Amino acid sequence: MTEELLDVDDVHQSYGEEKVLEGISFEMDRQDVKVLVGPSGSGKSTMLRCINRLTDIDDGDISLDGESIYDLDENDLRRQVGMVFQDFNLFAHLTALENVTLGLKRVRGMGGKAAVEKAAWQLEAVGLREQANSYPAELSGGQKQRVGIARALAMDPKLMLFDEPTSALDPELIGEVLEVMRELAEEGMTMLVVTHEMGFARQAATDVLFLEDGKLVEQGPPDQLFEQPENERTEAFLGRLTKLHGGQ
Amino acid sequence: MTRSTKRVVRDAMLSVFWLWFGVRLLNDWFGGVLVPAGQPFFDPQPVSEAAVALHDAGAPASWLGDLLESLAFAMTYLPDLAAGAWLTVVLTVLATILGLAIAVPLAAARVYGNVTHWIALAFIELIRGTPLLAQLFVLYFALPLSRWFAAVPYVGTGIVPAQAVWVAVIGFTINSAAYQAEYIRGSIEGIDPGQLTAARSIGLSRIQGIRFVVLPQALRFAIPSWTNELVYLTKYSSLAAFITVGELFHAARSAAYANYRFLDLFLLAAVVYLALVLSATTTMEWVRRRVAIPGVGGSGGGRMSTD
Repeated sequence: MTEELLDVDDVHQSYGEEKVLEGISFEMDRQDVKVLVGPSGSGKSTMLRCINRLTDIDDGDISLDGESIYDLDENDLRRQVGMVFQDFNLFAHLTALENVTLGLKRVRGMGGKAAVEKAAWQLEAVGLREQANSYPAELSGGQKQRVGIARALAMDPKLMLFDEPTSALDPELIGEVLEVMRELAEEGMTMLVVTHEMGFARQAATDVLFLEDGKLVEQGPPDQLFEQPENERTEAFLGRLTKLHGGQ
Repeated sequence: MTRSTKRVVRDAMLSVFWLWFGVRLLNDWFGGVLVPAGQPFFDPQPVSEAAVALHDAGAPASWLGDLLESLAFAMTYLPDLAAGAWLTVVLTVLATILGLAIAVPLAAARVYGNVTHWIALAFIELIRGTPLLAQLFVLYFALPLSRWFAAVPYVGTGIVPAQAVWVAVIGFTINSAAYQAEYIRGSIEGIDPGQLTAARSIGLSRIQGIRFVVLPQALRFAIPSWTNELVYLTKYSSLAAFITVGELFHAARSAAYANYRFLDLFLLAAVVYLALVLSATTTMEWVRRRVAIPGVGGSGGGRMSTD
């Protein structure tokens, strides 16, 4: 196994006339945690959606484990790449446990009992053993997002994509979700995270990538980007974010 | 009246209706266990005589006389309507359920299909755009359907309805499928697209996402319109009378011609329709509660939301 897990190579993407990504390139090794930041409309979410092929790219290539994602079956790719959404998108008609077992049964072909055991374990890992039989409408935002994380993790992905996982949460609920993400990072999960939580970026990220207008302006370890950014736009943006979303 | 008293009154009335209806049908199917088939359970003659006597006594006793007279009338003619009401139930229930089975893929095709979108759209607009009666006439008079059904063993014998009924079932099924498809399409479109995105993001195929994530929610949202369809169909099924099906309206009309009591018989039939429709809405309300999930399908989930 090579160290490199993800290779994003000169990716271009557009919606109709509007260019969203204009030549993005970066790599991720196993266990890397990279945080994508940038003003809204800079293409961060689109970048994530390209990686699990929820959105198709116009040009360039993306490889997972040395293989172009376009050579993989899209459902197989998505099993290997977990995604967590800003709006949680929990299956509204299923309990927390069933949200996790659905993919285990229908995608991974696990039997009912094995799926329930794995799902229960996964929910416990995000601190939701008690809520296993609750429906999404009965959960708080933070609990919903933790179910969302458990649902993605249960598929044993190689890579986890987080699309502004705490942006829809009340401030007092953000901590519990970030805590789960921090633990996940410590366990060695490879993570690509779009977030404005600069505290998380400083603590958990191996690299921070600053995106603007569909271009990767600057990337580097958090200390470097926060303390000595090379680009003045990076400095201005990160300065504003840190003010708004705190150091911790 | 409080909500629960209303429910008790409604349930009591429906219980009386279905007790009568059930005993009536069983009695008639098994060749007159209690009374000869088609005959009243109790002789209406004494009631009728009492009504006349009270009438002669003048007001206010004559009001009671009117009431008894109506009762005697109902006792006399309800047996004629029972067999018709049974066919109305058969037509409505079969057409709704079979129609649903067709409507679900039709609605999914309309929302998610490419070529199938246009096929589904053409079918739905053709059926919704032409009169139901014309559709029944085409099926019954222009197509050889009834001959085919007549060749099927047991059709028209015992409690198995005759061929015209089966043609009507097909007609109502097709018609109902088109309407139900539109109800379901509406509720599919009301489901947050993020639900399907999330399904796909864990590796479910599009079909699986629709089947396991979108439809279970959409069908719950469709229950109120589905109830409406059941109510409509109960009454629209009277059009089957025009292709010789002896359903409730047909039975009332025949009895009316035989006895020259048109208004009375159609009012009596209306009461039976009302009982059937109330039964339909009550059943659907029960179904809605049974399958309710907090946060899905509007109000009244099984448990309270904490959000």
